[in-house]
Amino acid sequence: MTDPLGGRQDAEDQRSATDEEGFLRHSGRALLLSLYAALRSLKLYPLENETVQKALDDLQASAGALIEAEDEIEVRMAGDFIFVNSTRLRLELDNYASFSQILSIFRTFDIGTLHVGAKVERREWQVFLSLLLSLSTREDPEDLLDELQSRLARADVAGLSLEPRSGAHDMDEQEMAREMAKRTYSQGVAVTKDVVNSVRMGRAASIKRVKRVVQGIVDQVLNNETSLIGLTTLRDYDEYTFTHSVNVCIFSIALGKKIGLTKTQLYDLGLAALLHDVGKARVPLDVLNKTTSLDEDEWRIIQEHPWTGALTLFTMRGYDETPYRSILVAYEHHMKTDLTGYPRSRRSRELGIYSKLVAVADGFDAATTRRSYQTIPIQPDEVLREMWENPRRGYDKVMVKALINLMGVYPVGTCVILDTFEVAVVAQANPDPAFINRPLLKVVINEDGAVVPPPGKTVDLGGRDAAGNFLHSIVKVTNPERYGITVGDYFV
Amino acid sequence: MTAVSDSEIILPPSQIEELLRTLVKAQRAFQMYLPNNPIYHRAMGNVRDAFKPVWGATDEVILTIEETECIWEETVVYQQLNKTESFSWSLYKDGMRILVLQRGCEQDEIVRFLQTVNQAKHLPTDAGDDLSTLLWEQDFEHILYRFPELLGDGAPLEVAVMGPPSAPPDEVRSEVKKDVEEGTPADESRPKGVVDIDDFDSTLYFLDDSEVKYLADEVEREYSRDLRASALAGLFDVFELNQRPDVHQEVIDILDVLFPNLLNAGEFRACAAVLRETQALAKVTEDLTPELRERLRGFDRRLSEPTIVGQMMQSLDEGGMPPNEDDVAVLLRQLRPEALETIVIWLPRLASGPVRTLLESLADELATANPQEVLRLLRTHESEALPGIIAQVARLQLSPAVAGLGSVLEHPDEGLRLSAVGALGGIGTPGAMTQVERALGDSDRAVRLAAVKLVGERGYKGAQRRVEEVVLTKRRRDIDFSERRAFFEAYALILEEGAVKALAEILRPRGFLQRKRNPEQRMCAALALGRITSPDAQAVLESVATDRDRQVRNAAAAALKAFKE
Repeated sequence: MTDPLGGRQDAEDQRSATDEEGFLRHSGRALLLSLYAALRSLKLYPLENETVQKALDDLQASAGALIEAEDEIEVRMAGDFIFVNSTRLRLELDNYASFSQILSIFRTFDIGTLHVGAKVERREWQVFLSLLLSLSTREDPEDLLDELQSRLARADVAGLSLEPRSGAHDMDEQEMAREMAKRTYSQGVAVTKDVVNSVRMGRAASIKRVKRVVQGIVDQVLNNETSLIGLTTLRDYDEYTFTHSVNVCIFSIALGKKIGLTKTQLYDLGLAALLHDVGKARVPLDVLNKTTSLDEDEWRIIQEHPWTGALTLFTMRGYDETPYRSILVAYEHHMKTDLTGYPRSRRSRELGIYSKLVAVADGFDAATTRRSYQTIPIQPDEVLREMWENPRRGYDKVMVKALINLMGVYPVGTCVILDTFEVAVVAQANPDPAFINRPLLKVVINEDGAVVPPPGKTVDLGGRDAAGNFLHSIVKVTNPERYGITVGDYFV
Repeated sequence: MTAVSDSEIILPPSQIEELLRTLVKAQRAFQMYLPNNPIYHRAMGNVRDAFKPVWGATDEVILTIEETECIWEETVVYQQLNKTESFSWSLYKDGMRILVLQRGCEQDEIVRFLQTVNQAKHLPTDAGDDLSTLLWEQDFEHILYRFPELLGDGAPLEVAVMGPPSAPPDEVRSEVKKDVEEGTPADESRPKGVVDIDDFDSTLYFLDDSEVKYLADEVEREYSRDLRASALAGLFDVFELNQRPDVHQEVIDILDVLFPNLLNAGEFRACAAVLRETQALAKVTEDLTPELRERLRGFDRRLSEPTIVGQMMQSLDEGGMPPNEDDVAVLLRQLRPEALETIVIWLPRLASGPVRTLLESLADELATANPQEVLRLLRTHESEALPGIIAQVARLQLSPAVAGLGSVLEHPDEGLRLSAVGALGGIGTPGAMTQVERALGDSDRAVRLAAVKLVGERGYKGAQRRVEEVVLTKRRRDIDFSERRAFFEAYALILEEGAVKALAEILRPRGFLQRKRNPEQRMCAALALGRITSPDAQAVLESVATDRDRQVRNAAAAALKAFKE
């Protein structure tokens, strides 16, 4: 939801938020590195050794610097990520080994969060680290955290407290998945941009990077597709061609997973899907980005993109062999099942399953997205209904059915009104197939009409009261623009 | 990663050093030897053995990868300063920073891992893969690794900073209520968007068995269909349906690059499609510039160029897999006649039996369909293909090639003349036998001998005069016994009963003085009579059964045996 009047304040808030995040990244990194250095020196040398003493001094100083600015410190582990006061620390070449060791030790003790109080003392760090080292050699790894906590208490360590991973584990996993998804998505857009711009400039694109991104998306979809699919609702993140390509890649891989493709097949499919619109790199930007309706010549140019894409892929360097599957998907993705559509076919042709699949993913994302020559996006459920019911669209019926199957009655990103008069967006289909009409939601406007800021309040429509009645139900699908809601904000 | 000091206490670093040494040795063995080599197997066994003591102490080994070192528990367990030989560098250079080997990896995964490292090590820098992408494709379960930040982060995905709501909450709430009321089911025609579960066909959310089968079949088809053919068909459609010279040129440019690659990859069916389509497009496409039309036609000509045909033969012969006969046939049928020469030259050089058999039969098709080319080659005396072409003509008994074989009889090489005579005899038409008759006067004994045997076997009367020159006159005193015998026998076979009288005169003493011819001629006459097997011939032979010349008696006796058989 945006308000033009609040623009200046927004910018200032954003700038200060960015500054704060930068400080936390920098100081958090220093804290973690000094924590590891102290741990290592304690392991190698006796306590009185000068190296150990200096390492403890540095650790205390790092913590002090953070506490001065933030009052207290929360170091949280979520999967492979470390967050300091909710800011994720970047894994970089000069810190990955230290971070990895810390993650490993915290996992051994099942530590989810380390709270560092404002009055933490140097002595407390020394006790904490010594205990970590001595207890980690214990043969029985059970109840290590309990033992650690009780020993810390006995040693009067009040400035440091620990929370287990369990309990917060699910949330950590979700948080991690969301972070991973955001990273994968932004990398996908960056790589697509690189490819498209390289084609525009006549340069060689890095196929290695394309492969890495697709491998990342496959991994992500196989582990937790919801986070990535949520990001496909993101609007205005970058030029439509780039985000659309990544969205189609995500939808295609998720749909491929749904119909039982293997990991390798998903990879083939993903490579083809990410580059399905590469021909648009050869469409003049003034046509591609035109906001008014296109004339006949301009439409003709737009309609050339499947075959210009195929020609582009035929000559794209970096592949070990000609990428025929990607070429075919680029060429066929606007052909209908009866081979009408474009480009026309004169020679005998049978559409491949990946072309049919990408066509469905492409059609769904294009229709639900605001783009230059379609200023009004259509609601996801309406798009699915149209794809299913209108045979002139020419989609493969089984593939559309599989997409509906993937997206549920209310596709991710659909804006709905509940019987409580709350407004919500669909976050994911209900994992329980018995509740196909009861997805998981993010409430964006509460029952009082107040906006709930991102990430919104999560509601499971499958939830019931003691009497067995559903707590919430959808009464209507609505247009988020009516309420100034930017759906994508709730997935970032 | 388990407890840091657990493994430190139980497992000495020397054990991990030994493991790394074994891995590096195995990596070299996997690079140098094929899987059926004993050294390869020994290396696999050594790797498994090296893991045993490690797994006795821990379930995983976590290595930090640095440029020239591998570090385990802060101890350098592998070091090789020479990067080209360094195991750690081969991981580090592509971005790997942490490698975790878990129990179970020694079964199968470690071998695939080392093979993949070898593969990545030799990739060019602009290759489409590197260690990271190749390892991903291996989908390891017990080998984990980290390539930090290879892609970097894209532009951050930030949440738009929320401004105040566009309207006060009360107004928003009223708007929501209004929205719902607009779509209450009480309305006769419920507005779009109002939800009723009855709207949804629940069968939509489950694929039925036939749909699941349809998808499975489609996936199977995707991985068995000819992608190249489909992509090429698209390329030709683009060419045909576009009138723009720049598009035509781009397609031809693509084909220019693609065609040799297809040949190199042994994609003969696709090559054939390129040739067929380019020729057809050159004919039917209007508004094609002369230069582009010529380039289209050039594919056909280029394929039949000796160098390219030679390369094709070589790649067929050296390819590990026997070629798909149908595919090669489809391609060779597109070849121009002039390709025959190169194929025939290559045939005897081919090491692969199946490839030679296949190409022989395909070359035969080409020769049969193009007799003019065969004639041309037979008349080109300096062609390296000449022996092969003669052999092919002989095998195929190509009668249109007779004149060409006749030309070979002028060739200075007696071996080729001899082959030509054999081929002509095989053809056996009157025209061919006329050429064989010419060879009766060849300067080379073997050629004459082959020719005279042929005219005899065929009973070729056209050669009677030349044969009589040897049998009935004294003009050819230069020839030896076996050649003379061949002429006598040919004479008998050509004239049959009509030869008995003349042969009898040679064999029996004649005149008042009972003068005899020389024994060699008499012997030849006796043996020739044996080829006639008539009562008259037998009577003549029996009449010399007691001849005073032992050689003549023996010849007659040998000839008489034919009557008893």
